[in-house]
Amino acid sequence: MPVFSIIYIEKQVANHPRTQDICARFPDAARVVCDRYGEVFNPNSQDFRLQKRKPALILAHKHKGRVLETPDGYGLGGHRNWYFSHMLNCLYDCRYCFLQGMYRSAHYVLYVNYEDFGTDIDTILAAADSEPCWFFSGYDCDSLAMEPVSAFVQHFLPFFARRPLAHIELRTKSTQIRSLLKMAPVANAVIAFSFTPEEVYQALEHRVPAIERRLQAMLQLQQAGWQIGLRFDPLIYQEDYQLQYRGLFQQLFSQLNGAQLHSVSLGTFRLPRSYFKNMVQLYPDEPLFAGSFSDTRGMISYPESLEQEMTDFCTRELLQHVPESLLFPCTLNG
Amino acid sequence: MINVVVALPAEARPLIEFYRLSDKTSIGTFRMYRRADMSLIVSGPGKVAAAAATALLAGCNTSKQQAAWLNIGIAGHASCATGQSLLAHRITDHATGKSWYPPQLFDLPTVTSSLITVDAPENSYCQEVAYDMEASGYYPVASRFSSTELVQCFKVVSDNREQSSANITAEGCRQLVTQKLDEIDALVRALVSLAQEYTSWRAPHAGLEQLSRQWRFTVSQQHQLAELARRWKVLIPDQPLWLSELDKKKNAAAVLQSLQQHLDSLPPSLVQKAQNARV
Repeated sequence: MPVFSIIYIEKQVANHPRTQDICARFPDAARVVCDRYGEVFNPNSQDFRLQKRKPALILAHKHKGRVLETPDGYGLGGHRNWYFSHMLNCLYDCRYCFLQGMYRSAHYVLYVNYEDFGTDIDTILAAADSEPCWFFSGYDCDSLAMEPVSAFVQHFLPFFARRPLAHIELRTKSTQIRSLLKMAPVANAVIAFSFTPEEVYQALEHRVPAIERRLQAMLQLQQAGWQIGLRFDPLIYQEDYQLQYRGLFQQLFSQLNGAQLHSVSLGTFRLPRSYFKNMVQLYPDEPLFAGSFSDTRGMISYPESLEQEMTDFCTRELLQHVPESLLFPCTLNG
Repeated sequence: MINVVVALPAEARPLIEFYRLSDKTSIGTFRMYRRADMSLIVSGPGKVAAAAATALLAGCNTSKQQAAWLNIGIAGHASCATGQSLLAHRITDHATGKSWYPPQLFDLPTVTSSLITVDAPENSYCQEVAYDMEASGYYPVASRFSSTELVQCFKVVSDNREQSSANITAEGCRQLVTQKLDEIDALVRALVSLAQEYTSWRAPHAGLEQLSRQWRFTVSQQHQLAELARRWKVLIPDQPLWLSELDKKKNAAAVLQSLQQHLDSLPPSLVQKAQNARV
């Protein structure tokens, strides 16, 4: 958990209880007030790579666009899929992550007005006319990694517990599961852990806990009654990727019972061209970005044949461990 | 490379001596002092002068290296003791209300503070912040030439509610800066180191220029070539940027195609290779 030396605070949330709680955690941090968080987060001439060395925390109010529909093809079998981000930027530094291509700043932005997110979720539920809805967190950040600061789980899981038709996915690479273990499992919540093979993890997933530690966190949660999921997204290609992914699946399923999982999803590495371009500018020396990619309809990805090959292979391997009904290949078409 | 913007000769003198900036030039009313890796300009008081001096220094920097920037000077503060040093974490222009927020990446002992740039020496110190007369001119201009993490503002408190700015003398100024030279130098070193890293990340392949001269590349093709050279540097750093078949290529498009095909045929790797590229 980082110790912040600077916390930027939007004037509007200066007296918010959540702001005060967070500032109390970092008594030595300089508190810098700003009118709008965009003054700090949005200016040009910032360098994400440099700022990633020591990101600051920005406490802000999210005014609109709090809960958005997911792109087509993104989901776990539900028909109504939404995502929301209480936080921008992630504690971890995975080199394939689109966040470094999307944002100019690596500072963490935490929107403290959780209650407004809840109001928007309730509005969606009311309009859904009793049809189940899925809400995905962990899009612009890791859902659990900053829990000691954000108290995201502490607030939102009880909220969702009271709304059985609203399903929430927390997507994470973190082992910060204390808050979850302290509360009764929420039946409509899925804690989904992301993995890549050891070789990929070592090369690309900086600051992320080791595979085995994440696996143990999953097992603890499962034993405590939580629904858990596996996420293999993005699939990263290397010449011996089949060996690598087979090895990863064997490691995971040597301890996990595939039939007791909630879901398994997978998707290959792909992102918008403009993001990729930014990422290459930040990390021109990154081997991942020196590979051969397809550039089609504004999206950078592996060539379609390779994407299909990887997805087919991993699907076949996973079906040896999980029932087909639990497997959800991601079919985003950009 | 670091560019230093200072308002007053008395503030500049200790820096010129400490860093042995022997090469002196005058352009208009501005005096610049230099050595190979540092330039210092004396702007004169006020934000307009600071902005002009910053732009001039940027224009004189012909190096392709990313430069760091540092504004050093005295400032008033409501309550801080004279001699206290401060790094600005927010710079506000009093006249317009506009603010900038220099990212703070270094673990240095210098305290950070908000800084308001005023048009006349401050005497009322209404807010618990530092007051100067140059930062809001310097910072937005310097930020156009470097990433903002490399643009910083260091002030030494010279006056407060107890000690008026009217009592500041040139000798007093000089002493205030002199007393903080170690702290300033720590910041300079940190900035220079970061700027050097930033430059090295983005250094093009050493063989790119030679290849560019051998065929006629359009602007678009130059971008493609730079991208291929970047990949070459990462994937096969110990091989010169050359293929034997290039000798037979008649035009830039054919060269690009050859290079692309060669790179695309290489197995992908996630591991960084040693960078021993030869021209």
